[in-house]
Parts: sequence; structure tokens; C-alpha cells
Amino acid sequence: MIGHVAWRLTRRAAVNLWRAPLPSLVSVLTISLSLFLAIAFVLGLQGARALLTGWGAQASITLYLDRAATDEAARALAAKIRAADPDVEVVYVDRAQALIRLKQELGDLASSLDGLATNPLPPTLEVTPRGSPAPAVVRMMAARLGTLPGVADVDYGREWLDKLEALGRALRLFGAGALVIVLGAALLVVANTIRLAVYARRDEIEIMKLVGATDGYVRMPFLLEGALQGLLGAALALSALLAVQQWLLPRAAQAFAFAAGTALPHLLPIQAAGLLGVGALVGFLGSYLAVARFLRA
Amino acid sequence: MIQLFDVRKTYAGDAPVLDGITLHIEKGEFIWLTGPSGAGKSTLLRLLFCADTATSGQILVGGRNVARLTQGGVPFLRRNIGVVFQDFKLLENRTVLENVGFALEVLGASDSEIRERSMKRLDQVGLKAKANSLPQRLSGGEQQRVAIARALVNEPTILLADEPTGNLDAGLTDSILELLFAANARGTTVIVATHDRAILQRYHRRTVALEHGKVVADA
Repeated sequence: MIGHVAWRLTRRAAVNLWRAPLPSLVSVLTISLSLFLAIAFVLGLQGARALLTGWGAQASITLYLDRAATDEAARALAAKIRAADPDVEVVYVDRAQALIRLKQELGDLASSLDGLATNPLPPTLEVTPRGSPAPAVVRMMAARLGTLPGVADVDYGREWLDKLEALGRALRLFGAGALVIVLGAALLVVANTIRLAVYARRDEIEIMKLVGATDGYVRMPFLLEGALQGLLGAALALSALLAVQQWLLPRAAQAFAFAAGTALPHLLPIQAAGLLGVGALVGFLGSYLAVARFLRA
Repeated sequence: MIQLFDVRKTYAGDAPVLDGITLHIEKGEFIWLTGPSGAGKSTLLRLLFCADTATSGQILVGGRNVARLTQGGVPFLRRNIGVVFQDFKLLENRTVLENVGFALEVLGASDSEIRERSMKRLDQVGLKAKANSLPQRLSGGEQQRVAIARALVNEPTILLADEPTGNLDAGLTDSILELLFAANARGTTVIVATHDRAILQRYHRRTVALEHGKVVADA
């Protein structure tokens, strides 16, 4: 019994969708546009975060050692750090190398260092974490390394990391807010479309209830119709997105050469399935709101 | 079958539509519910099929107190009650067969069962040949016969008819009433609201007369 009732209700939902093509089309296109914007935004956000993480990974921790530290002591400390944490790369820069680097960085001004009687630079250890650790991890690591004997000072680009972290937080917050607004708008459009459909079929609903249809039975074709609209809208958004990925992104990648090395944001199969699911859910919920209000009245 | 105890129905600021109605209707009875316009006939019928709720008093339908029914319980009560209206309430975009079968669809009957039982009812009301017509192609009398077929298709124990002949001429009135008498003869309890005194004089049945929301005669 459940089988043929389900089939009958689904068939009715499809027929109803077909009988009112214009409102249905408006609904499908709105959902499609909203989902397209939403998923494009999510992918853009993913790309931006990947870029930020990439930049974050370049941050390294510089340990300034006591000026009196010997090469042996510095190398021993480097070995000790490597042994304690295999996920870091440690490079020892002695005082002479530090001076050469400084001269290279100064370029034409390097001759101003010639008058120095002694090398003022301390030996350093450059500690670079492998992978892309979160700013908080880098901060903790720097604090730990700063307490090691022989380390006079630590520099790990604190301000840069803080800004990076704040930017990441702001992006996440803004993304979530924008997503809620876009999907909320789609939901309201579906609710209004279905409300019109419900109103147009009020006589049918009245008779259904008169002959003993439960609220669930009355509601179901409308819910299925909404879900169907959502699914069609999501499928359309997905097609548009795949077209953009196929044709637009490769060209955009050439234009944005500064992001070279960062993977282009591509839609994963799980995200595509999620998109279809979200589309159906938005349509379903929109219909539910519309019909619930009508049935209450 | 149906019992009403001191039932009142009022709307804010207006005089009571029903005022202290107490009535007992036995299983298988045929009742004329009569009175002038505004006497409360339609309101009384609406209370019986839970389209409205009484302000006070108790209503028992088939042993069930309708005031205590939850919203989810109402559809199941209605499946035992067929309702016929003066304006037929047929779906214009569905065929006669589909209109009749509509009452069975909500019960979850299969397509073949719906067709078989609907055709049987249409045969009883003499409209088998018009099963595939749309309602607007039918005369008023035929449309009312379709509405009666729909009301009876799931074999309800109670049939309520609100001015079922109000839009029909005398010849058609008799054919509609014959269908209601036939349903009653098969055991269905029938309550017909009408203000047509000629009908009451022609067909003698128990008659409950309402005036200003009160029962003024029951004979």
C-alpha cells in the first residue's frame, strides 16, 4: 500500500510542477542561482584559505643564540631540537653567514658595514615547521623553543600570524553569514511559490480534507514538489558550476599568476552530492513552511 | 449513532447560532433538518463532520466525543462520514471517475480498486457512461449525483447532505432524494438539511426543525 501511495503522490507532485510551469521555473531558477552563488562562494573561500595556509606555512621561527655560543654548542642545540620534534627543519646560520646575508640584503648599502670592527650579529637557528601548522601551533612552538638554554631571543612573525589568523576567522564568519542569507532567500522564494500553488489548489485541499485525508497526505505532494524544484535548481547550479570549472577557471588561473602553486578550487563528488541534497532540502523546507501555514489556517 | 447534549455555538459579538441543542439520532435513521435560512442547519452539520467546534456541550458521533478528538483524529472520523453540498464541490480539472475515486485515494486504495469501486457507485447513480467526462460537461443534477457517489464510495456509516437539491429543479430533486433514500435503505444514517417544505410534505421522515439556533420541533 505504501508503495503505490508514494508513487501516486510523487506522480501528482510532478504533474503539479508541470501544470504550473512559470512559478515552478521561477522557483527552480532562484534556487539554482542561490546555490550557485553559495557553492561558488564556498569554493572561493576554500581557495583563499588554502592560499593563506600556504603563506602561513612559510613562517619560520628564528632563534637568536648567545653571541658567545660556539659552533659546537649551536649545532648540538640544532640536533637536540630536531630530535625532539622530527617535523621541523633546523638550519644553523653562524655569525659569518649572517653577516654575508645582511650584506646581500643591503645591496649597494653593504659597504656601510665595512667600518665595523667586530661582527655584531648573533648566530641563529632557523626552525621551519613542515606542513602547514596553524598559527597557534607555531606560537606554542616558538614559546617552547625560547626557553631552551643558549637561546637569547625568538622571532616568529607574531604580528603577521595574528593578522593571518584574524583574516581566516573573518572569512569563515563572513562566509557562514553570506551562506545563511543566500539560502534563506532561496527558502523564502520556494515558500512563496508553493504558497501560490497551495492557494491555487485550495478547493482540492478542502475536498481532500473533507473525504478524510490526513494533514500528512495533503502536505506530501507539495513537499515533494518543493523538493523536486530544489533538486532541479541544484542540478542546474551544478551544471553551471562544472561549466565554469571547465572553461573559466583554467583561464582565470593564468590571469592570477600570483596564486601559482595553490590548487584551483574544484568541486568534489561529495560536495556535488551535498549540493543536490541541500537543494532538495531547501525546496522541501520552503514547501513545509508554506503548507504548514495553510493547514493551520 | 449521533448524540448532541446542550450544544451551543456562538461567534463573538453575535447571537448564538446554535443554542442548547440536544438530539439523539439512531443508527440507520433518516432525518430532515429543516428551518429558515440562518436557523443553524449548516452549522449543526459542520459540527458533526468537525469542520467547526462547538462553543459548549458534547457531541458524540459513533460513540466518539468529537471535542476530544485530536487534529490527527479528525480525518479518521471523516472517513465514516460522507458529505454532500449544495454547490457539489467537484474538482473541475478531474474526470467524474477521478472525482469519485478521490475519496478512496486518501484511504490508500490501489488504482484498480479505486476504479472498480468508483465505477460501481457511478453505476448506482446512473452515470457510468459519463465516467470520463469533466464535471462542467454535466447538468446540475448529474453533478450532484457525482457528489453523492463520491460521498458514498467508501461506504460511510453517516451521510450528511446540506441543501443537496437547493440548486435543482423539482424533477431532478426527486432523483437525488431517491439516491439518499437508497443509501439509507442500505443502512446508512442520513441527515439532510433543507428549507424546502414541499419535500418534507412529500416524503415523511423524522423532521427536526430549527429556529434561531434552537430545536422547535422534532417529530
